[in-house]
Amino acid sequence: MQKGKTSSVKSATESHECRLPLLKTCCSWAASHTVLIVDDEPVTRTAMVARLTRLGYRVLQASDGKSGLELLRRERPDLTILDWMMPELDGLAFCDEVRRDPNILSSQILMMTRYDQPEQIAEGLARGADDFLSKAATSYEIIARVQAGIRTAMLIRRLEQVTEQIRRKQDLLERELQSAARYVESLLPAPGTLLPGIEMAHAYRPALTLGGDLFNVVRWDDHSLGLYLLDASGHGVSPALRSASFSTFLREDSLLNQVGSSDPGAILTEANRQFPLTEDGNYFTIIFVLLDIRSRTLFYATAGHHGAFLQRLSGEIIWLSQRSLPLGFDPTNVYQTAAVPLMKGDRLYVLSDGLYEIPSPDGELWGQPRLEATMREEGRRPVAEVLSHTIDAAARWHGQEHFPDDVAVMGIELGI
Amino acid sequence: MADAKEEVVSIQTKERSVPNGVVLELTGDLTYANREQFKAAVEAVRQRGCRHLILHMDDVRFVDSSGLGLLALVSQNFKLMQGQVSMVKPQTYVREIMTLANIPKLIPVYDNEQEALAGYKMAA
Repeated sequence: MQKGKTSSVKSATESHECRLPLLKTCCSWAASHTVLIVDDEPVTRTAMVARLTRLGYRVLQASDGKSGLELLRRERPDLTILDWMMPELDGLAFCDEVRRDPNILSSQILMMTRYDQPEQIAEGLARGADDFLSKAATSYEIIARVQAGIRTAMLIRRLEQVTEQIRRKQDLLERELQSAARYVESLLPAPGTLLPGIEMAHAYRPALTLGGDLFNVVRWDDHSLGLYLLDASGHGVSPALRSASFSTFLREDSLLNQVGSSDPGAILTEANRQFPLTEDGNYFTIIFVLLDIRSRTLFYATAGHHGAFLQRLSGEIIWLSQRSLPLGFDPTNVYQTAAVPLMKGDRLYVLSDGLYEIPSPDGELWGQPRLEATMREEGRRPVAEVLSHTIDAAARWHGQEHFPDDVAVMGIELGI
Repeated sequence: MADAKEEVVSIQTKERSVPNGVVLELTGDLTYANREQFKAAVEAVRQRGCRHLILHMDDVRFVDSSGLGLLALVSQNFKLMQGQVSMVKPQTYVREIMTLANIPKLIPVYDNEQEALAGYKMAA
């Protein structure tokens, strides 16, 4: 009789539950989800376990906060239904523990309580519960809240997975960028003696991992050599790729084949023809220098580049500047070569504008006059030291670890 | 050649027809960050067959290296269809940057729209 009665009660509940479309939906996806029930009251706990098991959930249970927390850490259930009032570790302290632990802090917690005052609910939410359920709630409400909690848990889990995927891809991309950066740096010339009496030092600090500035030396013969520094507009990987491609054009054999001259103006005129604006309007600026030792003359041409100067033994500074279009701005442009006589003790500095267009924390640019003053203060110290101290001074002005733009500079001691 | 200016300021474009041309009033910064907005506004004018684009620069505070490239590109695209880009009233700082890059050689700079229209008429 009693057995029959129980059976009839169960059957009534099931029949009631199955009439509700929400519950039908629930049964179909519940099987793949785990719910942990932490409650010290055996009757309430057992009833909840039975209800959720019947709906197809995988149900775990704990009779106190401490063992509940252990289960949560071990099993990572999709949802934890937590009793507020428990001896020792109560529901609020349980929430505190969960939100402190980075491994489980995203766990979904549905707090079950007899309290239903707004202040208490607010306190529970503030301490880390995600939702509340009254112990007097109907079966329908319980199921709906469990489903809602699990939906949120699924979204959070998906977000965690996607974040992890992005992090891995970012790591991979970072490693590839570093590898590309090592390649770009391998294109830079070795410092030291370029020709008898001509010593070169350089410094290169890309703003991002990969920079768009490049410089190099072209060894024409025993008494003349070319030097260039180019700067690709734009940000990111693209300028670095374009610079690397341009540097191939600027190799000695390529220039002999395609330009047939060591004249800086002729080289830039041909480069202007071969490197038009990109479809985004990106382009190069460049200075190309020819040092002719026999005639003691420096020849140069620029395309929108303003960063090179001669420093005389007296300290006088002569900027090598022409008003000229960057490459690609006018496909028909002819670039002119200018000449400057060299004097004993001259030093040549070829640099990117990233070395002087550096803002202070207030936005004021360091500028060419401060750069000149810093270099004058350095006097006749070795060129490598001058470069290193100048970059340090620029970095102090900027006040941040990284420069906003690529910094590239070559210093050449002309002991001729 | 990255832009030293960290603050992101957008660019607004307002189009106005004048006899024998279209004026594009620009407000904001012409920079790498705003390149798509600027390109789209200019392309819309060009695709309609406009031959003379006047960029009104009075409210442009800053042009970075990418902005200079875009101006050169726009000028080239208009030349391809026998068109012309002119510029009106760039602010002092913007004018200096453009002079350094020799932009006025590609895009004539005028003090007002009447002069720009007269300049185009003479060239045509």
